[in-house]
Amino acid sequence: MNTLIEIHNLSKVYNPKTIPVCAVNGVDLKIEEGEFTALVGPSGSGKTTLLNLIGGLDYPSGGEVKIEGVDITRMNENKLIDFRLKNIGFVFQAYNLIPVLTASENVEFVMLMQKKPKKERERQVADLLIEVGLSDKRNSRPSELSGGQQQRVAVARALASKPRFILADEPTANLDSKSAENLLEIMAKLNKEDRMTFLFSTHDQRVIDKARRIVTLVDGKIVSDTKNQPR
Amino acid sequence: MLFKIAWRNIWRNKMRSIVVLSSVAIGLFAGMFMIAFFQGLMKQEVDNAIETQLSHIQLHNPAFAEDKEVSALIETGGFILDQLRKNEAVKAVSGRVVTGGMITSSSTAAGVEIHGIVSGDEKNISSVAGDVVEGVYFNPGKKNEIVIGQQLAKKLAVKLHSKIVLTFQTKSGELTAGSFRIAGIFRSRNSAFDQTTVFTAFDDLALLLGTGKEIHEIAVLLKDGKQADSLAAGFKKNYPAVQIQTWSEIEPEMAMLTGLMDQMMYIIIGIILLALMFGIINTMLMAVLERQREFGMLMAIGMNKTRVFFMVILESLMLTCLGLPAGIFLTIGCVQFFAKKGIDLSAFSEALSQLGFSSIVYPQLQQSMFLPVTLMTAFTALLSAIYPALKALKFKPAVAIHKL
Repeated sequence: MNTLIEIHNLSKVYNPKTIPVCAVNGVDLKIEEGEFTALVGPSGSGKTTLLNLIGGLDYPSGGEVKIEGVDITRMNENKLIDFRLKNIGFVFQAYNLIPVLTASENVEFVMLMQKKPKKERERQVADLLIEVGLSDKRNSRPSELSGGQQQRVAVARALASKPRFILADEPTANLDSKSAENLLEIMAKLNKEDRMTFLFSTHDQRVIDKARRIVTLVDGKIVSDTKNQPR
Repeated sequence: MLFKIAWRNIWRNKMRSIVVLSSVAIGLFAGMFMIAFFQGLMKQEVDNAIETQLSHIQLHNPAFAEDKEVSALIETGGFILDQLRKNEAVKAVSGRVVTGGMITSSSTAAGVEIHGIVSGDEKNISSVAGDVVEGVYFNPGKKNEIVIGQQLAKKLAVKLHSKIVLTFQTKSGELTAGSFRIAGIFRSRNSAFDQTTVFTAFDDLALLLGTGKEIHEIAVLLKDGKQADSLAAGFKKNYPAVQIQTWSEIEPEMAMLTGLMDQMMYIIIGIILLALMFGIINTMLMAVLERQREFGMLMAIGMNKTRVFFMVILESLMLTCLGLPAGIFLTIGCVQFFAKKGIDLSAFSEALSQLGFSSIVYPQLQQSMFLPVTLMTAFTALLSAIYPALKALKFKPAVAIHKL
């Protein structure tokens, strides 16, 4: 298996000049292609910060994050945005869809930024919405969708750019159990059938149960890294 | 897609967008209406001065123009008058004898400028005949009649048909006096003119002055006032011994005031647009700060900073494009309405009349003013969007995404 994400001695300190808070403290981690990894730990353990650093949404205080051998911590903001567009899919806790666009437009938006031709975009949008089970909701705006449906659109949007991996920050935190179950099935199916790599932070035991690897963070440090048999 | 997002974004908060749109429309309207008001005011003042006293061009003996010497008559004045009457660009001409003197009633006296005119010619060139509010503008065949302003009549405590005495110097330097009966009392829009100018028949005044058929002043009214400068230049070539002046040369203060008003207008528009700018900055900044999480998400999923910047500018541009036509229609409607009805400033009529302004202002707007003011407003609106757009670029995706 290829190493997709490689982290060396990664640290992030907030307020270094006033009251320093070390959110991530010397983390070393490798994520292989096709993994379905859960990042777990109590609140404030640094899960979201670690995901932000891996996703290039924030710069670390020290260490490096290599994506397929490319150190993204050395990239400037514009290069990082472009890198994210081409390589990383994001699913956020609060869905974060564009409220003025329909489900299909939200999915298409990323492809538009990638300057994909119209026909390819239309075909891919249709395929992705079928894949997440929302082909009948393609013209609905986020406000007309349930939380679970919005999160499935977010997954479709994350997949639209054909990323190398998807980072999901507490993807089921705002969902009822049925919607969460449904979302997890979709994610697991994408991982199994399309070998899409998922790295997600979670508190949700149902999500943890589905993971094939569980990385536990406490006070910004990895305290355990175990294989798991998904249920 | 950016256009679609920007367009839909502006209708997410309808009230806020309507406020921005209205600000642009009202800003444009305020600027344009201000221009229309001052243009109307100044045009009326200039037209009034031209119609009552100046005409477009005046011809004098150069010595007369300096100190109004009675003996400074225009040589070959009659010939020039005939020539000018034949000129196709000339609407009307009138030859006058003019002198300064004293007007005396039984109760008091005042200094006045006495115009000896041919009433038939003068009616074509001056609006005074139409401004007569009591009596007539000279009775044909009657001798020693005088037409005076209402303010002067009040000051002298005289009425229609009262007798007054004019005292002035003759051509030979002798002091002379003549008795005149008031045939008409006029009230123009310029009270200073009404208080200081009286009219008699040309022959009556010329007889007392001893000037015969000779004239001091030829007033020329043109078919197109805009040709005054070019025609005056032509007259100067034709009549080199005569001093030829356009209205703006005779009354440079008035021409200067017109220019000053233009500059003032732009300063006032600048202040209005500055206020508009802060209004738009405030509203757009609010719109951007409220959508912090959204901007964070857009940048997280790969929207580059140029696009983010462009999207905010685009939203402002769209609001501006909606506000500008609204402002233009509002301006056209209001200017057309008040151009017919007039803006009544009679509460300030005394002060306005002293300055030669009419108490009812009819706004006028040159079409050429629409483009610069529209562009200035559009530029202001776009400029106002730059700060909020730059603010949006400063959001850190990792932080912005988690903003409520």
